[in-house]
Amino acid sequence: MPVRVAESSAPSQPSGSNCGQTSPSACSLLSVGQAFSGTQNVSSMQKDEAWRVNVRIQGCDLEHGYLCGTMEALNVPMADTPVVTFWEGEIVDTKNYTFFTGKWEATPEDDIRHWTKFPSFSALQSYVEVDGGKSLDLSNCQYIFMRWKEQYFVNVGTDCGLTIAGFYYVCFSCSDGSINGFYYDPNSSPFQKLELKSTNEGRQGFSFSSYELR
Amino acid sequence: MPSSASASVSASVSVSASASSTTTTTSGAHSDLLTRLTSSESEVQLKALRELKNRIIGNRTKKLSFIKLGLVPPVAAILASKAQVQAQAQAQAHHESNLLVQSAAALGSFACGFDAGVRAVLDAGVFPNLFLLLSHPDDKVVDAGARSLRMIYQSKLAPKCDFLQEKNMEFLLSLLNSENENVTGLGASIIIHSCETTAEQKALCHAGVVKKLISLLEGSLSQRDNSLESLATVMKNNVEAVSEFVGSESGRALSSVIELTKDRYPRTRLLASMCLIVIRNTSACYLQDIGIKTKLVHLLLELHDDPGQVGDEAPFAFSSLISEKPDLQKLAFEANAIDKLYNHLQKSQLYPKRFQGILLALADLCSKLESCRSRFLSLQALNLVSDALTHDSSDVRTAACMCLRCVSRSIKNLCAGNFLNEMIVPPLVRLLDDPSTSVQVAAISVIGNIAVDFTMRRSLFVQCGGVKQLVQLSKSMDSTVRLNALWALRNMMFLADNVFKEGIFMEFTASSLASVICDPEPFVQEQALALIRNLVDGCVKAVDLVFTEDGMILDAVGRQLQNASTDEIWIQGMYVLSNVASGTEFHKEAVMHQLIPQEDNGTQSFILKFLQSNESQLRTAAVWAIVNLTFPSSPGSFSRLVKLHSAGIVSQIKSMVHDPCPDVKLRVRTALGQFTTFGDCST
Repeated sequence: MPVRVAESSAPSQPSGSNCGQTSPSACSLLSVGQAFSGTQNVSSMQKDEAWRVNVRIQGCDLEHGYLCGTMEALNVPMADTPVVTFWEGEIVDTKNYTFFTGKWEATPEDDIRHWTKFPSFSALQSYVEVDGGKSLDLSNCQYIFMRWKEQYFVNVGTDCGLTIAGFYYVCFSCSDGSINGFYYDPNSSPFQKLELKSTNEGRQGFSFSSYELR
Repeated sequence: MPSSASASVSASVSVSASASSTTTTTSGAHSDLLTRLTSSESEVQLKALRELKNRIIGNRTKKLSFIKLGLVPPVAAILASKAQVQAQAQAQAHHESNLLVQSAAALGSFACGFDAGVRAVLDAGVFPNLFLLLSHPDDKVVDAGARSLRMIYQSKLAPKCDFLQEKNMEFLLSLLNSENENVTGLGASIIIHSCETTAEQKALCHAGVVKKLISLLEGSLSQRDNSLESLATVMKNNVEAVSEFVGSESGRALSSVIELTKDRYPRTRLLASMCLIVIRNTSACYLQDIGIKTKLVHLLLELHDDPGQVGDEAPFAFSSLISEKPDLQKLAFEANAIDKLYNHLQKSQLYPKRFQGILLALADLCSKLESCRSRFLSLQALNLVSDALTHDSSDVRTAACMCLRCVSRSIKNLCAGNFLNEMIVPPLVRLLDDPSTSVQVAAISVIGNIAVDFTMRRSLFVQCGGVKQLVQLSKSMDSTVRLNALWALRNMMFLADNVFKEGIFMEFTASSLASVICDPEPFVQEQALALIRNLVDGCVKAVDLVFTEDGMILDAVGRQLQNASTDEIWIQGMYVLSNVASGTEFHKEAVMHQLIPQEDNGTQSFILKFLQSNESQLRTAAVWAIVNLTFPSSPGSFSRLVKLHSAGIVSQIKSMVHDPCPDVKLRVRTALGQFTTFGDCST
């Protein structure tokens, strides 16, 4: 989800099931077509604010640790319409990607600082601090850790006064499909929290669609 | 090479030919030629042969016109009448040889690069007589016969040589062992043309052909080229032949082919690289060195600059080098391949074969790597490829579709709506009517990909009549067309809004949908069910569509789940039921009706079989259906749970609590959690 340009402040000081070397197994709640809704807290020193957010998974390639989708921010103050962005995700599978980001201005310290915000990360922390978690087997872990990076605005121009310079540290729960995330951009408010739940779009149950590219 | 040899022969007679053509009208000259070719005077025949040959060289229009006038049979008759004459006085023999040389050369010219010419020569029955010339005492006659036969063997129409017959193999070896360069070249041409099966490749290896071909690598330019091409033919997909070649002379044969990639002649460089590509594609353990891979990429890209045949063939060789190999595609990307191919594509009046090759090479480059697709799109190459969709050549149209298909595998660009536009969709939809089935299928494949457009501009397909045509094609007699049409419609249905879904449904009708679910081909059934699965996803109202006409679609799904025999069909069918079961009470009860038959005839519900399947995705789909049927906030969930319990489904779910698949295990826990909200009834 985009955030307002120029809300600069330094990141705060760090705060804080053994997931058993293979990729996370497929989780049907994280498959293409699945929708999530919730909020992103964009509070700053000046005011408390949360934007409603909808996310839809549009592509998933576990072999390459790749996930992508769209994110819609609904009540963005400066925008006339909901703002939709396209994001690409790196799944931390210790094969394609580790817990260390190694780009996007995120140091290993920034990484640890954000990952430790997720309670489910605590069992992994000591391993991750050594080498980003390369030795971990996450195939049976009930949580899938990811980084989501917005790539472009789908329905508004880049001159909309919003930025997508940062990225999200994301933790997905395979059991109930809930998603927690923290936005990281050295030039934006720290630890903007993203909270999403799996939605069933008015149904009495869960529905699954699929497509295939050739 | 054969064509240049003929050209040199013709040079000596060009003056008389041009003089002749200035003094007679064209049709007059034709009938005059026919008269002279059938003259009883051999001197007249000889002059006529020379004139004929001179006039048709490199001129397809003339060749066709002379074939229509029936000039091939008299030429064949001259050759046939002289081919078997043996002992003669020397002067006469010289004259007869000239007639043989000229008639063979004329026939070769008719056949050179022109299938209609090859057909006319073969129809004249002169093919066996040309082989007789190979044992003629006069070397010039042997040369002419061999050249002419090689031109015929360059066509797909030439008869195949059956190497599995001993006498044919002996004959081939005699050709390869000849001192005459044209004769060894003929041997190579026969191998290139005729060797197709693994059994033929093995027979050639066992007869020592690989060793002979390796020795020819040391020969003349033409022998080297012939040898390289034949070696590639014998080794293609034949691990045994590759192993014999690579191990031969302690690797010297392989080294000499690698060395030939630096040869001064572009054709030799191309053929050497093709030989190496065959080796690598057949046995991935060879030529893994990054240096040789990079060299091949750069060499083949450089050979695209050749204005002739080498440049026409280079893109195909490049494709076979990079196809399905992301590491080589990455190297090609780093070598600026997208930009280089795009520059060639920008040239006007591209020869169709070259145009096709470049499009296919771009398709292979963009088949896997997003970096390649991004570069392709940033160059505006899409405009040129969409223009190619209306090219006269069906091969070019097909290649343009394949290129678009590979580029459109990018979800990032599909989400940006970069493909669903007026420049691409209308010409693609028109190709659905193309007379060539391969173009049709290729066009459907592109539509299938770009139909997954996430910006919801799919109505463009409706406006162009694309949906109507796809629905028609899904009832085609050709199962590949049906499969692809259903697959495209399935993708179009993915996350579509209800109005769009209803539009497709109305176009299709419930009875047609029910019948494609029961198509005779399992892979068509699977796509049909995947389409229905997407139809009943999203807005609950969409689920009602499968209940029209007395629920015949849902009944058809139930029958397939009972009768089909592949996991893929079961998975899609089970997701149809699961999605329907996420709807209203009425929908859930209808699914119960499919799962638990009313009459207790002792048959086990198919869902029990699916819950016990070894395929985790099928178990997942089945458990989701149970989760939906017992969804806590639905009023009828308790009574359904009781029925599921009676049918043994609840106890089956309970036994899956330690399922080896994490996803299944979690879904089972969800189901069990829901069961407990209803108390002990399930125990």
